Amino acid sequence: MSDQGLRIHNLHANVAGNEILKGIDLTVEPGKVHALMGPNGSGKSTLAFSLTGHPAYQVTQGSATLDGEDILALPADKRARAGLFLSFQYPAAIPGVKVANFLHAARQAVRPGDLTPSKFRAMLFEKMELLGMDPAFMGRYLNDGFSGGEKKRLEMLQLAVLAPKYAILDETDSGLDIDALKDVGESVAALRASEEGQKAGFLIITHYPRILQHITADVVHIMIDGRIAKTGGAELANLIEREGYDAIREEHGVIA
Amino acid sequence: MPSALEDRLLSGNARAAARERYESTPSGRERTGRYWKIDLDALSLDLTAFGPDAGAVTIENSNPRAIACDLHTAAAEHGPLLARAFGTTGAAQTKFGALTTAFAGLGAFVYIPADAACDDPIVVTYDIPAASNVFPYTVVLVERGSRATIVERFEGGGGAFVCAAAEIVAEENAAVTFASVQGLAEDARILTTRTSRPGRNATIAWATADLGSALSAGELIVAIEHPGAHADIATLFFPRGNQHVDIVSTIEHRVGNSTSETLVKSAATDRGQARYLGNIRIAANAQGSDASLRDDALLLSKNAHIDSVPALEIAANDVKAFHGATVGALDQNSIFYIESRGIPRNDAERMIALAFFEPALDRFPTEKLRQDLRTALAAKLQ
Repeated sequence: MSDQGLRIHNLHANVAGNEILKGIDLTVEPGKVHALMGPNGSGKSTLAFSLTGHPAYQVTQGSATLDGEDILALPADKRARAGLFLSFQYPAAIPGVKVANFLHAARQAVRPGDLTPSKFRAMLFEKMELLGMDPAFMGRYLNDGFSGGEKKRLEMLQLAVLAPKYAILDETDSGLDIDALKDVGESVAALRASEEGQKAGFLIITHYPRILQHITADVVHIMIDGRIAKTGGAELANLIEREGYDAIREEHGVIA
Repeated sequence: MPSALEDRLLSGNARAAARERYESTPSGRERTGRYWKIDLDALSLDLTAFGPDAGAVTIENSNPRAIACDLHTAAAEHGPLLARAFGTTGAAQTKFGALTTAFAGLGAFVYIPADAACDDPIVVTYDIPAASNVFPYTVVLVERGSRATIVERFEGGGGAFVCAAAEIVAEENAAVTFASVQGLAEDARILTTRTSRPGRNATIAWATADLGSALSAGELIVAIEHPGAHADIATLFFPRGNQHVDIVSTIEHRVGNSTSETLVKSAATDRGQARYLGNIRIAANAQGSDASLRDDALLLSKNAHIDSVPALEIAANDVKAFHGATVGALDQNSIFYIESRGIPRNDAERMIALAFFEPALDRFPTEKLRQDLRTALAAKLQ
């Protein structure tokens, strides 16, 4: 079907009155992995927050649809229920909210009543084992006092538990050691291999190519100054690894 | 007909003296202004309408070694025990404690003999009739080396005026947890005076929750006069509509090597108003004391208002004293984080606001009570 996918067309967005996104065109097809790379300040996170509905980000032009549904018209919670997920670069710490209760509330919100509490629990422990997470995590407060690696593991656990149609991973690799990065790669692979997740599309936002050694991208986009400057295959990531973003800046006459 | 209470503890003269003291003592809150929203001296109470014994008390106790009974029974059957605590911690020296004393009759007495672990909560429930004037008085005496948990509840009270007192005496090595939950009708008024005296190496832990009433003004005092004593205060309140809460807590470290920990979690919404004044006083000879005061306030509407005033007076030079206070609104990034997981904004806000109270809820005894409090707080967030 032609309207399948997370389809972004001519998207412009402002933060505090400044235009950050200057016309983004990008389509993540079901089952595909797209990488979005770019230097700091190019607008990658702005795209993630604009798509997921953060109130500080105003879309001024363009469209975004999820399998045909206009998500820009929806509040943030309904975008999630439509099947969109964001793995945060900096997840909020919320003392007083226990991880287990939060995960259950989120699953109930996104997929109401589809699992009995005991099946939910079993699923949770299976996914946690995959991510090398201690069951004691469940009784801790959400991201409160978590190390950088623990926060990212919890984001990946939420990805696994919510099994969205489209997932945006915003710099999930930043601050991770090699073992944690491997666990992230394996949990994404496990989701893609599962019945729930095999049609999931991914938009992996990253500054560095190394996460792409663990999650193979079908398409790589380079974002510079609020626009997609170049789109290609996995080899584009290797080019960035070798030469940095300057080559693409020069090619596009963008003054960094 | 004079009861045992009159005969043994409260002669007509003692009541008259307490009434006199009420009339001549300033509340300490007579000025209105930035931190003093209500003039408690201007409540224009009609004392001629007051009398003892309005209201009802029920007492649940399953600890075989504890005595828990109403105040009249205590005076008649356990007079000497009651006299060791009643009026001994300074409640009657405050303006409103004197008023409670002047009209005392309704009340409860809890006595724990030495070396008894009474871990099942003793529950004292005051049922306040509508449009009544009620003077509940709870007295607790815990002897050396014993443990006790007391839960006091105020219920009912449409349009009522309640002036309540609670006194705790904890002897050497005793540990007392006293939780008081005020869930009166939203047009009631309640004034509370809570005073306590921990012995050497004793712990007194107060946990108070103000959820109901139009006006709740409270004064809580722990006077530490023996080394090794520990005072713990956890206070939560949540005015909404036009509710008004005004709490003063005071911990007096009069001797050294004593510790205290005060935690206040408050929220206000609609036109709810609150003020909290937290006094920590460390006397010159109270070296080695350790006091902390943490006070967080959450504002959920632009017309809500909470003033937090920590006041530390430290005369000793070898002490640890910490205080921290925050006043703020819900964090927008936290709300978005929860929303982004499919949870509607209102639910996300409620989730964060309830979570905010958790550290204070943790200091209340029993999971059932904590759950009751969460339910009541959630209802206020609707």
